Amino acid sequence: MRRPLSIMRASPSEGWIELLYRVVGEGTALLSRKARGEQVNLIGPIGVPFRIDESRTLPLLIGGGVGVPPMVFLADAMRQSHKQLEPLVLMGSETPFPFRARPSQIMVSGIPGDVIAAMPLLEDWGIASRLASQQGYAGCHEGYVTDLARLWLEGLDGDALGKVSIFACGPEPMLAAVARLARDHDLPCQVSLEEYMACGVGGCAGCAVPIRTAEGVAMKRVCVDGPVFPAEAVFPG
Amino acid sequence: MTSDVIEQNAAGRGSATGADDALKIDFCGMAFATPLVLLSGCVGFGDEYTRIEGFTHASVGAVCLKGTTGSARLGNRPHRVAETPMGMLNAIGLQNPGARYVVDHILPGLDFTSTRFIANVSGSTVEEYREVTQIFDDSPIDAIEINISCPNVKEGGVAFGNDPDMSARVVEACRGATKKPIITKLSPNQTDIAHNARRCIEAGTDGFAVINTLMGMAIDAETRRTIIGNNQGGLSGPAIKPVALLKVHQVYQVAKAHNIPIIGQGGVTNAEDALEFLIAGASAVGVGTALFYDPLVCDEINRGVSAYLTRHGFNNVSELTGTLTLNG
Ligand SMILES: Cc1cc2nc3c(=O)[nH]c(=O)nc-3n(C[C@H](O)[C@H](O)[C@H](O)COP(=O)(O)O)c2cc1C
Ligand code: FES
Repeated sequence: MRRPLSIMRASPSEGWIELLYRVVGEGTALLSRKARGEQVNLIGPIGVPFRIDESRTLPLLIGGGVGVPPMVFLADAMRQSHKQLEPLVLMGSETPFPFRARPSQIMVSGIPGDVIAAMPLLEDWGIASRLASQQGYAGCHEGYVTDLARLWLEGLDGDALGKVSIFACGPEPMLAAVARLARDHDLPCQVSLEEYMACGVGGCAGCAVPIRTAEGVAMKRVCVDGPVFPAEAVFPG
Repeated sequence: MTSDVIEQNAAGRGSATGADDALKIDFCGMAFATPLVLLSGCVGFGDEYTRIEGFTHASVGAVCLKGTTGSARLGNRPHRVAETPMGMLNAIGLQNPGARYVVDHILPGLDFTSTRFIANVSGSTVEEYREVTQIFDDSPIDAIEINISCPNVKEGGVAFGNDPDMSARVVEACRGATKKPIITKLSPNQTDIAHNARRCIEAGTDGFAVINTLMGMAIDAETRRTIIGNNQGGLSGPAIKPVALLKVHQVYQVAKAHNIPIIGQGGVTNAEDALEFLIAGASAVGVGTALFYDPLVCDEINRGVSAYLTRHGFNNVSELTGTLTLNG
């Protein structure tokens, strides 16, 4: 079966896409053994992307584990097409980050001074990022990425808070915590979900998850109706 | 981290081969452009795959729509699918918007000139099967497939399909509700499929679909939990092909005398598989799970079957049906 993977970077003009994935099972193991020049077959892009509200100029992007790459993609899109936005990217991982973290040159108020590890790619783009882990990695916030997000949010004044919107991708417990955080601060929040998939085009309903709609609970397909859903539709109070 | 460029492999993909006369068949009075049928539950309600570049319904003789019940069903909780060795488990739970909605809102959007569309009918009671069939009877649908073999719902489905008396009652009830061709989809989860087939023929079925999925389970040893939300699911894909071939062969022994054709299915991924089903006794061949890794696989199967027909001197694919030689 095909594996749903998110795109980390893309260049339509140069004709390439970049995938960052973790080897978790047989499918990703096979993919990791492909040599340069070998061909792979893919269907894409599929699904509904994050919607960006231009009026909320302080987007908070939260990525956990394999949810990191789509946050890089989103930050890149903001950098290229929504220049007035000032995104902050927070990432959490309990396995070593797939890049060598670098001390950040970009100050972020509200974030403890010793939390300085950043993703070099984002740093080069001039986008602030910080990392969190419970594994005691140097320069990372020791704890959950959502705790780091809460620290930042609590440091904002009411005016700034009104400009925040949250975008998140990661394991379900993290997304649930992000949804709680958004609710506590009354912020708009979109989450990108993962589910096992078979067809990837909306034909098998194999990836459907319960989503609250105005008409009640509906089973929505993560592949084509998602993967992005409003947080409150996935995690109602 | 991988930064290799990954691109769609479009090499060697020609256009659809549906125009080949040798592939044209008559199935229960319906003109099929090729003997291939896209299987129920794998291609939604007929238009999902048309978004894929290169995909066309002209490659297949018919498309079976997702299982449809009297009222809308939400289906089962996640996970609904899991990959297993040479196949997959699914427990969708017949998620569908209900027969009325399908007829009023989905069928009008389908291109009935591109292929034949077959409704896949399910229910919890004999009466529900009859009711759904009646709703489809008054619609442009080309035929009705009765699914008495769904393993993923608590009532009806495979509980009916494993009981020849119940199977016959369902077929009889649907027969009374429509003059359109009825194709009865049989379950492999029963001891004597040939006996069941005989009862369904007596009850008035025009054709068979053999086989639906086999019941199975997948377990995560780390968490000691089942992977599928519904705990058990239906196994499909290459893993079930040998079982499917035997069942097609067994049903054919009963059906051939009555000229009742079979859509053979279960694990077809290439032309050789399709040929094996035809030889075992099928008149048409279903493709389901294989679409999940190659949505354009039907074109390749058509090409392979055409080439075989030429190589072996057959004028039409229907000449292959049931040509199996058993050891004496
Ligand atoms: C995800 C999925 C959903 C299915 N849903 C239905 C269904 O609604 N009704 C039905 O009669 N069969 C259903 N089937 C069974 C297929 O139509 C087919 O009989 C079976 O999968 C064997 O063929 P295959 O190995 O080519 O997939 C489903 C199969 C899969 C994989
Ligand atoms: S994976 Fe088939 S509908 Fe989403």
